[in-house]
Amino acid sequence: MPLKSYEHCCSTIQALASLGKIEGVIPLLHGPQPCLYQNQVGSMSCRPAQLLTAGTLINKSDVVFGGEESLKQQVKNIYKKYKPKMIAIINTCVPQLIAEDIEGVIIELEDEIPDLKVVTCKSGFNYPRSMPLGSDAAWAALVGGFKEKEKVPGSVGIIGRTGQDAGNMAPIDIPIKKAGIKTFLFPAPHIDEMEKIVCADSLYSIHITNHLTSKKIKEKFGTETHFIEIPVGLEGTSNFLRGVADRENSQKLHDIVDEEEKRVRPEFDRIKASFAGKGYRMLLVTGPGNEVSIGKIMAELGMEVFVVPCMKNQLYKQEKTIMEDRYGVTFIEKDFDLLEDLIEEIKPTFVSCEFQAQVETVRKFVPTIINMMYLCDYGYDYAIDLGTNFLTTIKQPVYEKWQGFVSKYGG
Amino acid sequence: MTQDTKEFRMQEIHTPSAFEGALWTACGIKDAITIFHSPPGCYINQHVNMLVNDWKVDLYSTNLSYANVMQGAEEKLEEVMRKFIAKDPAAIIVVTAPSVEVTQDDVEGVANKVGFKDTVIIRPPIGGIASDGRDEAFIKLLDIMDPSEEKLPNSVNIIGPTFSTFNWMADVCELKRMLEGIGVTVNTVMTAGATVAEIKRAPKAALNLCMYPYDCGIKTAKEMEKRFGIPYFDDIIPIGFENSSLWLEKIAGFFKSSDTSFVKKEMQSAIEFANSNMFFTVTFEMTASLSFDNNNTYAVGISEFYTSEAGTKVVACSVSNPDAAKRIGVVCDEVLLNGTIEQKRDKLISTAPMAVFGNFYDKKISMDEGFQNFIFADIPTIGYMGTENCPFMGYRGAKYLVQCLVNEVYMGIFLETKGEMEGKISGGVVPWEIKAEQALMKISEMMPHFIRATAVKKLHQVAEQMAVDNGTDVTIEIVQKVADKFTPTKFKAKFSEVFDEVEPQAPVDEDEEVPIKSLTFNMEWDDEAKDMLEQVPSPFRKVAVENTENYAKEHSNEKVTVAVFDAFRKELGM
Repeated sequence: MPLKSYEHCCSTIQALASLGKIEGVIPLLHGPQPCLYQNQVGSMSCRPAQLLTAGTLINKSDVVFGGEESLKQQVKNIYKKYKPKMIAIINTCVPQLIAEDIEGVIIELEDEIPDLKVVTCKSGFNYPRSMPLGSDAAWAALVGGFKEKEKVPGSVGIIGRTGQDAGNMAPIDIPIKKAGIKTFLFPAPHIDEMEKIVCADSLYSIHITNHLTSKKIKEKFGTETHFIEIPVGLEGTSNFLRGVADRENSQKLHDIVDEEEKRVRPEFDRIKASFAGKGYRMLLVTGPGNEVSIGKIMAELGMEVFVVPCMKNQLYKQEKTIMEDRYGVTFIEKDFDLLEDLIEEIKPTFVSCEFQAQVETVRKFVPTIINMMYLCDYGYDYAIDLGTNFLTTIKQPVYEKWQGFVSKYGG
Repeated sequence: MTQDTKEFRMQEIHTPSAFEGALWTACGIKDAITIFHSPPGCYINQHVNMLVNDWKVDLYSTNLSYANVMQGAEEKLEEVMRKFIAKDPAAIIVVTAPSVEVTQDDVEGVANKVGFKDTVIIRPPIGGIASDGRDEAFIKLLDIMDPSEEKLPNSVNIIGPTFSTFNWMADVCELKRMLEGIGVTVNTVMTAGATVAEIKRAPKAALNLCMYPYDCGIKTAKEMEKRFGIPYFDDIIPIGFENSSLWLEKIAGFFKSSDTSFVKKEMQSAIEFANSNMFFTVTFEMTASLSFDNNNTYAVGISEFYTSEAGTKVVACSVSNPDAAKRIGVVCDEVLLNGTIEQKRDKLISTAPMAVFGNFYDKKISMDEGFQNFIFADIPTIGYMGTENCPFMGYRGAKYLVQCLVNEVYMGIFLETKGEMEGKISGGVVPWEIKAEQALMKISEMMPHFIRATAVKKLHQVAEQMAVDNGTDVTIEIVQKVADKFTPTKFKAKFSEVFDEVEPQAPVDEDEEVPIKSLTFNMEWDDEAKDMLEQVPSPFRKVAVENTENYAKEHSNEKVTVAVFDAFRKELGM
């Protein structure tokens, strides 16, 4: 039985962080003070602006008699003050526990104020063990509020991961655009831009964390989302783009991929040669989904990779098969008590884990990267940058110095 | 006609001389009377500039006039000395001013005539640096010491700290604590905070420790070895966990002590510190620039500690000692020896550190160039309060060096990547040109991982806002402008290569008159604010309007007022 949770945060914080990064959406946290305070503080570091959050601050009497009235009032307050395009109620564990009728509140509010658009994101108890699902739930909630739009023939929609991908999908967007294909990106920093995803003729998911969103789009707008593989590294990026090229019948995109491969292959070969024979083993422990994507890059570059996944949905299973078959990556799906037990068992050279998990790796001075800082991982160039600078960034000699201190002085 | 040009170097102006060094050394002795044999202007400047770092009231002067200097100032000195002798001082230290050194007053003759036993005369060399003055003063102080055959067991002198040595009080406090930890007593600190009695008993110590071997003290230690038979250590700088331990272990070894429990305890605390804090996560991706023109020892110790134990890259370092420069060159690629302020400014821009350590001038050029994370670590300071807290040396110093760096940079960079508290996240649906997208992607790769995602978001948002304001797509020119203006801690130099292909804008015609009336205003401006544009040189008025309006919008001002204009000017450091 696990003795800790190695996720970066509760799925509710992730929902708040994701919704808090979209202009035109005001998130409203529905929950008691401790939950709201933690969510607010926890989301601060990754929100670009609009740093304050509205909340309902459920109290004991709300729990006993129902907090619907407070919720309704707070939605009205927000609407009056900000007139947002959409208010997203982020539901937390306590209202879920007392089975509050959030949908009922929304119906009443929309009857009262016809211009008001309110959606509800069901995080909290629904996804207690996977932070990125909070993001997926948030996107799915937004999609629920989108309206039907005319599709742009031959256009492609790219569905990324979490709020961090908003504005960071250029490495995938650029070659497709260069091939003359109109693209729509999801997420995006503005609600109007996000809503345009419904205009895409075909959709491609580029990470494992958007299963609920893709399902919701299909359910509401009938567009199927294709998952080829995560476009990271050389093979991953090329296979993804070629998959899009095949489906969209674009020779130009194939040609662009050929050119890109010619440009980047020597760099990949150089990095692989520098890693070869070193016996590097990397353990990547549950994160914002990048335990899979960063793991894939490192495996391609020649490391022996072990992954503890943050989720086990359909997209993950597909990616897992690719990584096992192509690079022999080991996936650890069984429970473990503590990360240090895993470290003891696997004896990794490097660990990628969450900030809170780092306390266990530092204890043994195992070189560690914090997974939340290694986002924006798509395309060829990120992998080259990561591989080229990895040993410099990880600073193994400093860890060795500290290991020496432990040997000499104890502690 | 070819005109002879001479390189104008200003470094001598911001570097203290041997006279400062001598005065700081003398004034640090608590109960000694220091007389600066000088004109009043010379005195008052020295006194005031000393007070900003160390509050020492008792500095006196002979207040020489032009006539005194020209006709001989011996009488004035005698008069002042006799007044103090009447008060039965512990010692009198006379430091001569440059004008007295020019006329070569017979100061020693006056002292002999007055006949006070514990008189020390320090004649700093004109053209010398502060370290020369310090050593000159230390060596002159040897004359009032009591030569002693008998040594106190397990006792040391610390040679080096004087007034106006940055952070001396905290460092001495920490080194004393550490020495006590291994059972060693500090007999005398030469000189800051010492009494005359302590200075006199210095020969009783069994060992001398040079605290700032790359700055001063070695000459003095050698002289003390010759005169009093005291050996000295000058090879380990106790900065960082490892060197603090090695320093203590070497001293313990000298005293044949086998008790290593203190070092062990401190190192276990260091390991606990590394285990329990946000240490490696942040320091590993940090870069620092060190400017230590007046404390070469700090430069050597801190650069080695940051590199080998904290994983922080020292991207540039400025020192004044060639040996220090050579040693630092092993861990740092960009070492300036006696660099000018302009050279330091260029180095800051080209190496783009996340934190800058230095003095007042470094702080100013950092501010001018947009480097917000600064840690005072050297003189001159124009006012810096030092206490026993926050050492740079020893175990606690190592912890503090990590603490101050992390606290200054981590929060600073995070806040720099944020928009306004209630600011916009996006300007709407704005198309991006492919080149602009590529440029932003390249820029993101140049940022440290711990801020990459949020920093890129801010650039993304500002670029879109600018495009909305211009009524265009996001172009590479916009991305360049945004990267230049809003990049966290100014990674300008690194980013410039991204924009190599951007055509440079046409040069500004400096003679062209741009009347205020001809300018386009996209926001409402108060008439008074418009009038202030008269102060802006003509060719820059258009840009000034654009930038002021951007500033006003960013700060949620609906119109440009005098207050907004002023606030923007202040932010630019004007």
